[in-house]
Amino acid sequence: MAAKRALIMHPSDNVATSVDAIQRGDAVAVPCQGTTITLEAIEPISFGFKIALADISAGALIRKYGETIGTASRPIAKGEMVHIHNLDGTRARGDLAKGRTS
Amino acid sequence: MSFQGYVRPDGSVGTRNYVLVIPPGFVAKSICDLVVGTKTFHGVDHGAGRTANDRETIARTLIGLGRNPNVASVIVHTASLGSDYPELRAERIAEEIRRSGKRVEILDPSKEGGTYGAIAKGIELARLMVHEASKMRRQSVGDEHLTLGVKCGSSDTTSGIAGNPAVGYLYDKVVAAGGTAMFGETTEIIGAEHLLARRAASPEVAKALLDAVHLQEEKAKATGLDIRTVNPLPSNIKGGISSLEEKSLGAIHKAGSAPVQGVLKYSERPPGKGLYFVDNWMGHLSIFAGYVAAGANLVLFQLGGGGISGRTTLESSPTVVTPFLWCTANYKTHEAARDSIDFYSGTVIDGSETPDEAGERLYRSVLDIASGTLSRSETLNYAEPVEIYLQEPRF
Repeated sequence: MAAKRALIMHPSDNVATSVDAIQRGDAVAVPCQGTTITLEAIEPISFGFKIALADISAGALIRKYGETIGTASRPIAKGEMVHIHNLDGTRARGDLAKGRTS
Repeated sequence: MSFQGYVRPDGSVGTRNYVLVIPPGFVAKSICDLVVGTKTFHGVDHGAGRTANDRETIARTLIGLGRNPNVASVIVHTASLGSDYPELRAERIAEEIRRSGKRVEILDPSKEGGTYGAIAKGIELARLMVHEASKMRRQSVGDEHLTLGVKCGSSDTTSGIAGNPAVGYLYDKVVAAGGTAMFGETTEIIGAEHLLARRAASPEVAKALLDAVHLQEEKAKATGLDIRTVNPLPSNIKGGISSLEEKSLGAIHKAGSAPVQGVLKYSERPPGKGLYFVDNWMGHLSIFAGYVAAGANLVLFQLGGGGISGRTTLESSPTVVTPFLWCTANYKTHEAARDSIDFYSGTVIDGSETPDEAGERLYRSVLDIASGTLSRSETLNYAEPVEIYLQEPRF
């Protein structure tokens, strides 16, 4: 069966965006700079959601478009979905600003 | 390349040819209901109890709508706006629109025997004015006469990958041809502002852009809320966007790669050609009217839609006199609302087109609609009210 597809936006990214209905155990092909990164999805990843391209430790930066889109709120395994349950945005966080000042 | 447009006395070029009746209200609505070729809008704020800055924003918006090149001539009535604040007086609004060389008529109920008298007189005037406007012919003009505005909304991960890059291609092409293009949504560049600041035409522009973002981020923090409970919106999160930074980094692709020439206020006219950032708010009832008041003769809504279901018909956002295009790169949105979508770039995701090929197709669609082909939403006789972007407390 053909590999499912995910798109990487910049070579330095550690996540790619699924453009297929990826099931657990699927092989996922990520075209990148003329070659293809292949990895196994360890959980289902719907169209438009992100898959980790490498193990990401808690607190590490998560990169897409070659830029930081947040930090890992817990360890993330290669092939896992990356979304609000394991990614924390860091900008405009009034809740954190409040915690620091009170 | 070129499009077919209406050349106005000040040299600007319209993609449409309307008679505008302002301010909004009973008189304007009554005239426009009866006379073809006229436009007005519904508004939610007439300025009462507003600060000087906010009143000036309302005035700038009304004047800007009148000066928009899609307007042939204007009727300003004195019946519903302003509570006699000097900024909002009909004479002032009319005088500033007249500087563009257009015909502007003032309609005063106190001189026409009251409201019904003003409506009767307005109908008579408007009929003559649309007839006069209909004698104008489109002429072939260059792309430098395009002034564009864009918003991305219901964003999902297709927006950053394929939808916004197609708009970015269009923006680069129009700016390179000497045209003008505006983008904005200050909250939605938080996390991407450093990339835009690097493209600023001068250190002053970079500072203005960073200052606008800093102020907005401080306002967000002052709420004490986790911004993710507000923005990204639940529909964005359902569409795969995980943080405000991710949304912003996808959103700025719609601005292409040209230098940023300046930072504008809501409904402020760009002082020159090129790409401008507008310090505005993303709300669709607000943002487009601001672009149109700043002179936009065509606007685009780049729609994700990953979190939207069941919407099979899309009406336009209020643009008063300017054609509005729906664009999307999400195949589900396109399948659901085929009759409403003007441009689809999901082809970039399925690999059947390159981003540049999709962008080129969008550019051709824009020239076609600028030349008179109706955008899909222009075929619906419906407009939501305009919410002019006012930021100060009211009293």
